[in-house]
Amino acid sequence: MPHQEDIGLMAHLMRRAGFGDPREELEERASKGYEAVVEELLHPEQQPAINDELLYRMFPGYEGAAAPPINQADWVFRMINTKRPLEEKMALFWHQLFATSNSKVDNPPELTSQIAMFREYGLGSYRDLLVQLAKSPAMIFWLDNHGNHDGAINENWGRELLELFCLGAGNYSETDIREAARAFTGWTIGPKIPRNPLGRFFWEFEYKPEDHDYGEKTFLGHTGNFNGEEIVDIIVDQPATARFLARHLYKFFVADEAHVASWNITPPRDPEAIELLVDAYNESTGDIRFILRVLFNSDFFKEARFARVKSPAELIVGTVRMVGNYNGFKPGFNNLALECNWQGQELLNPPSVESWHTGSEWIDPGVLMRRVNFAARIVGDASLPGVWAIIKRVLAQAVVKGNLSPQAMVTACLDEMGSLEVSEATHAELMFHAENGGEMALGTDEELRATAQKVSKILTLIAASRDYQFA
Amino acid sequence: MLTTVAAGRVYDYSYCIGMYSQSGRGFWAPQDFVLGPNGRIYVLSRGVEQLGQRVSKINFDQEFQGQFGSVGTEDGRFVWPRSIDLDKNGRIFVSDEYVNRITVYGEGGSYRYHWGRPGSDDGQLNGPSGIAFDSHGTVWVVDSWNHRVQSFSQIGEFQSKFGKQGGGDGDLEMPWGICIDHQDNIYVADWGNDRVQKFSPTGELLVKFESSSTGVGSLKGPSGVAVDSDGDVYVTDWGNHRVQIYAPDGQYITALTGDAQEPSSWTQTYIEANPEIIKARRRVDLEPEWRFRRPVAVNIDADDRIIVLESYRHRLQIYNKLRDYEEHPLNL
Repeated sequence: MPHQEDIGLMAHLMRRAGFGDPREELEERASKGYEAVVEELLHPEQQPAINDELLYRMFPGYEGAAAPPINQADWVFRMINTKRPLEEKMALFWHQLFATSNSKVDNPPELTSQIAMFREYGLGSYRDLLVQLAKSPAMIFWLDNHGNHDGAINENWGRELLELFCLGAGNYSETDIREAARAFTGWTIGPKIPRNPLGRFFWEFEYKPEDHDYGEKTFLGHTGNFNGEEIVDIIVDQPATARFLARHLYKFFVADEAHVASWNITPPRDPEAIELLVDAYNESTGDIRFILRVLFNSDFFKEARFARVKSPAELIVGTVRMVGNYNGFKPGFNNLALECNWQGQELLNPPSVESWHTGSEWIDPGVLMRRVNFAARIVGDASLPGVWAIIKRVLAQAVVKGNLSPQAMVTACLDEMGSLEVSEATHAELMFHAENGGEMALGTDEELRATAQKVSKILTLIAASRDYQFA
Repeated sequence: MLTTVAAGRVYDYSYCIGMYSQSGRGFWAPQDFVLGPNGRIYVLSRGVEQLGQRVSKINFDQEFQGQFGSVGTEDGRFVWPRSIDLDKNGRIFVSDEYVNRITVYGEGGSYRYHWGRPGSDDGQLNGPSGIAFDSHGTVWVVDSWNHRVQSFSQIGEFQSKFGKQGGGDGDLEMPWGICIDHQDNIYVADWGNDRVQKFSPTGELLVKFESSSTGVGSLKGPSGVAVDSDGDVYVTDWGNHRVQIYAPDGQYITALTGDAQEPSSWTQTYIEANPEIIKARRRVDLEPEWRFRRPVAVNIDADDRIIVLESYRHRLQIYNKLRDYEEHPLNL
């Protein structure tokens, strides 16, 4: 059995690099050693992918679905059931960074394709990912590059590529935006069979050489007859790009930070950490896997436990993964996707190209009630086999020589819920409820049932606590 | 090719029926269909999550004649409907992979009864998919997640079983569809092993339909199977989006890939109501639309018409097997 401190650290890693793990999986991972698990996470290709053929056999309506809750359900299924947690978490990271929304694209399967592209390229070279992003049909439509023509440019893609995706405000000029837009003329999507009652058809990226502006461009101090890929080459060489990506990675994986819109006036929360990530970017020429290896093995990451408010996807997927009530094929993944929407994170439909405002902005009084009710309802349902299994493990862990002390019970409950660390106030409240109602006896079936109910109550209170809202 | 000529057989595309709809005229992720008396076709829609599950009653004239069934675990409802068949009296049997039961309806769709218990013991089910009747009225059920086939009386009494998980001869891996020929031989779409296996009524392996040593006739995740009056075998090659045709001895003949160049009358109504869509359709190659996408089930009628159901396109495509075809002059 690994040391408790190792399990706590592993729980932290899996909350951030995945969507949390049930207790027994944490033990298994911790026994491999932290750095070995980081390597395993960084190489998802070594684990089996979700079997798409089996998924679409069981859920035929998911394939090419054109109703957002169904496309979202497809993704939520993968988040819960993946054996490649970091691959899926990176897809969510890139979706938040390169926010593309169905509100305009109005083609959910195209957004699903973009997410699949993030899975494929999300841990590789930043440069390659940006090129794929520029060719993503959903992105081309979202930022109007299909309307960006030689002699009649549309700056939308060029602007967001610099401002929100790569450099950040203050690191480019309006001229740079226009020149970037010129370089991406001709990058468009071909006509496709329009929607009809025979299922959706997909866009294809199309390069139209006759619509490309071949003139000389000056972009970020470089001059030449640039095409889109050369613009990306220049961008990924910018110091500002390394810093911008480092801050995004820190914000998503380490600790809550100010929203990107204020980064040009708000310094990083941990400048040294950002410098370390920038160095990793430069050393690896923008290799995402390399940068994440540095991040996950750093002290600042290991020490940043519970420094982020869980996003709705993290809260929902993490809770059902812990309980195991959505493992495998069963109905209801769309309900989880809808719950995500109601908690303020409509997957595939971020509110704008600036994406969601994260951290404490995930929470307002109404949403907090939803978050608490959701987690407490799942964890408090002792009829779920996964919850009952947790209760049994709590009893197995906490009962010593036939006695169950309130302190041991609370400790075991916190441990089972992902090695959760709580404030003194929360701990005192849990102890009050554990001690309330007298001694916990285990002699008869009736006494065992009453004690199990008390365990269930403590688990529910933990799920409803302020502390459970943090990753 | 609208007309496919191969190994002395001629397959001639006729027309298609269907479109997507959550309810009423149309289907949603249909999984199976069965041919009833007087040209009736019962089409079983899987829907998605809590929407769209139903049996649609239509005919070959593309008339929608009603529907029955809806999502739920109550009597007469289904959650993951997978397969449908009729007994000799016209009663309708539907398998439900999620609640592990077979529900029986009267000819018009009124609920009669259901049977089936979850598990892996004899007579228990884990993901029942394909169902078919033999000439004695015995119901054969593909028990997918138990990797076997079981037979039952019409009220669910266990009778026999064959198959076990594996890739050897006679083994099964997540089998899906089933059909039974006039000699009561049983054809099973062995989905996970990329083949169809033909068994005797007692479960002895007779023929395998799969990729030959030269690679022709390969299958990827076959879902459905049917046999015509000549004994030729038709397999919906679900993963490769085509229908593979074999001679009775397993010799590969040819493939159908879908030919619905004219949309169904139901789809045409939708298109004609949308001028922008008409305009957009004139800008593109429409071939992807008429090709099969996830062909999932196939049936042959008394006239040897071959009817193929596509899950992704919510559509049936109908072919004739021509007996009196004469070659046109090749020097035209």
